[in-house]
Amino acid sequence: MAAAVCPCRALLGGRRRLLRAFTRGLAASKETHFGFQVVSEEEKGEKVYQVFENVAKKYDIMNDSMSLGMHRVWKDVLLHKMNPSPGTLLLDVAGGTGDIAFRFINYVRSVRERQLRQKLKHHQNLSWQEIADSYQEEAVKPLGDSQVVVCDINKEMLKVGRQKAQQLGYSEGLSWVVGNAEELPFGDEKFDVYTIAFGIRNVTHIDLALQEAYRVLKPGGRFLCLEFSQVNNPLLSRLYDLYSFQIIPVLGEIIAGDWKSYQYLVESIRRFPPQEEFKAMIEDAGFLKVDYQNLTSGIVAIHSGFKL
Amino acid sequence: VRCQLCPPARALQASATLRRVSDEHKKEPAASSSQHQFDSHPTDHQPEQEPRGPRPSYTGQGGQESEDYESEEQLQHRILTAALEFVPEHGWSAEAIAEGAKTLGLSAAAAGMFHNDGSELVLHFVSHCNTKLSEQLEQEQKLVQLGETEKKTTDQFLRDALEARLRMLIPYIEKWPQAISILLLPHNIPSSLSLLTSMIDDIWHYAGDRSTDFNWYTRRAVLTGIYNTTELVMIQDTSPDFEDTWRFLENRVADAVNMDSTAKQVKSTGEALVQGLMGAAVTVSTAARALRAE
Repeated sequence: MAAAVCPCRALLGGRRRLLRAFTRGLAASKETHFGFQVVSEEEKGEKVYQVFENVAKKYDIMNDSMSLGMHRVWKDVLLHKMNPSPGTLLLDVAGGTGDIAFRFINYVRSVRERQLRQKLKHHQNLSWQEIADSYQEEAVKPLGDSQVVVCDINKEMLKVGRQKAQQLGYSEGLSWVVGNAEELPFGDEKFDVYTIAFGIRNVTHIDLALQEAYRVLKPGGRFLCLEFSQVNNPLLSRLYDLYSFQIIPVLGEIIAGDWKSYQYLVESIRRFPPQEEFKAMIEDAGFLKVDYQNLTSGIVAIHSGFKL
Repeated sequence: VRCQLCPPARALQASATLRRVSDEHKKEPAASSSQHQFDSHPTDHQPEQEPRGPRPSYTGQGGQESEDYESEEQLQHRILTAALEFVPEHGWSAEAIAEGAKTLGLSAAAAGMFHNDGSELVLHFVSHCNTKLSEQLEQEQKLVQLGETEKKTTDQFLRDALEARLRMLIPYIEKWPQAISILLLPHNIPSSLSLLTSMIDDIWHYAGDRSTDFNWYTRRAVLTGIYNTTELVMIQDTSPDFEDTWRFLENRVADAVNMDSTAKQVKSTGEALVQGLMGAAVTVSTAARALRAE
């Protein structure tokens, strides 16, 4: 009754309330997105940590079932594009379960073998001693001084990665470090290549992560990012949306027992900036010759930049 | 808006002074490269360069100063030039480019800027040789104009020009077959063909060819044929200082020049023959008419 008697008063009161809430919002911490939800920045970090803590044990199985095995091809393409030579120091950020690191080690090992074979071919008159020495060298330095450091903010993911490494027999040239992509625990200009595969969309401040990447890379070093991106084909885009929102969370529930985490996953993919925008962000961090390559019609894109 | 995201001053500078130019990248979507158009001269020519405006943060990049004052293309040229000395060992490949980058103080990962198969290295080398050849021919022409040397005959000129150009391959002759195969890859053919034709065109230009008829094409086609065949002879030549190759070259050029004069002779003979036949035909027809009239 009172509200009806003086509607204009109620309206004014309402507007004042809105204004108060607005200023309070501004004074509070900045907001960001967590999938399609809006959360504060501190919350996002925690929530992402929880997501990956929950999925860590089933991470690889889920990757295979969600992408129908395509993620292996994408990661192989990334390595082929990197084309590392023996002696390269790789920093794999958000590399939790070690997929990129293991592929790197395999690649470098085979390149090194080929190099040693070529060297033998060139030297026509080798004494038996020299041949034996070269085999020794191959045994002692199979990676040729290459090293990979796997850095992840989530201890559970790293744990799973270390177990995998033990199982598959990777021991040399591999280190596991806990660290935040926005504030890496490494000195300046230490690494030849910095990769971040399917990790950067989970970072709260992507620009800070890019700046850190710039900092830790040597001059001439390369930044490579493998990430889900915007599909450019309209028909495929509809199918992809259907698959993402209807099937993936269900798979998540069946296989990993966690619907929400996989809902977050597909939502975070939609929130990530498209190829050109991300390329501009990389250029802003100071990288040159920035370029991207679409895989599978844009479902995944590899962005590359150089610190020159 | 973008500036707010970049606290370090150098990144601010980079995005403020970058000029986006469309680029000849081979990747799927065309990338736009950003060029630093600070100075067209390479840094070693001007040791005391003045930076444009205040740029305090550049000094903190430890050895990278030189790179920031040149465009990316110039840096790429420098890397490729440095990579050439590793070609005899690693071939025309990404490894040679990686070694070249390392000598410039850059990480080996910088070789990722180029194609994995070493195409850019070969094309860079060929273009460099062609430029050197043009400069040499221009110098010779100046000397002739000043009257300091005699003008050469066409065949001597062609022989010397081709020999000079082929001699530039000698340091890399062992790996040259690999380079030829790289130049013949489908995605390289446009560039390699254009380099070849412009070189041949240059040589004919300095040889004094001013033809405006079909001769222009035949001359270039013939010389291209001579160059390619001589190159193939050279890569399997084991004689001291490639004597066999130069003799082969001499014979081919002589053939070509002979063919030219033979062609002219044939033409004039043919014309004379035709005229003779016409005369005979007229005589015969007149005689026949005279006989019929009787």
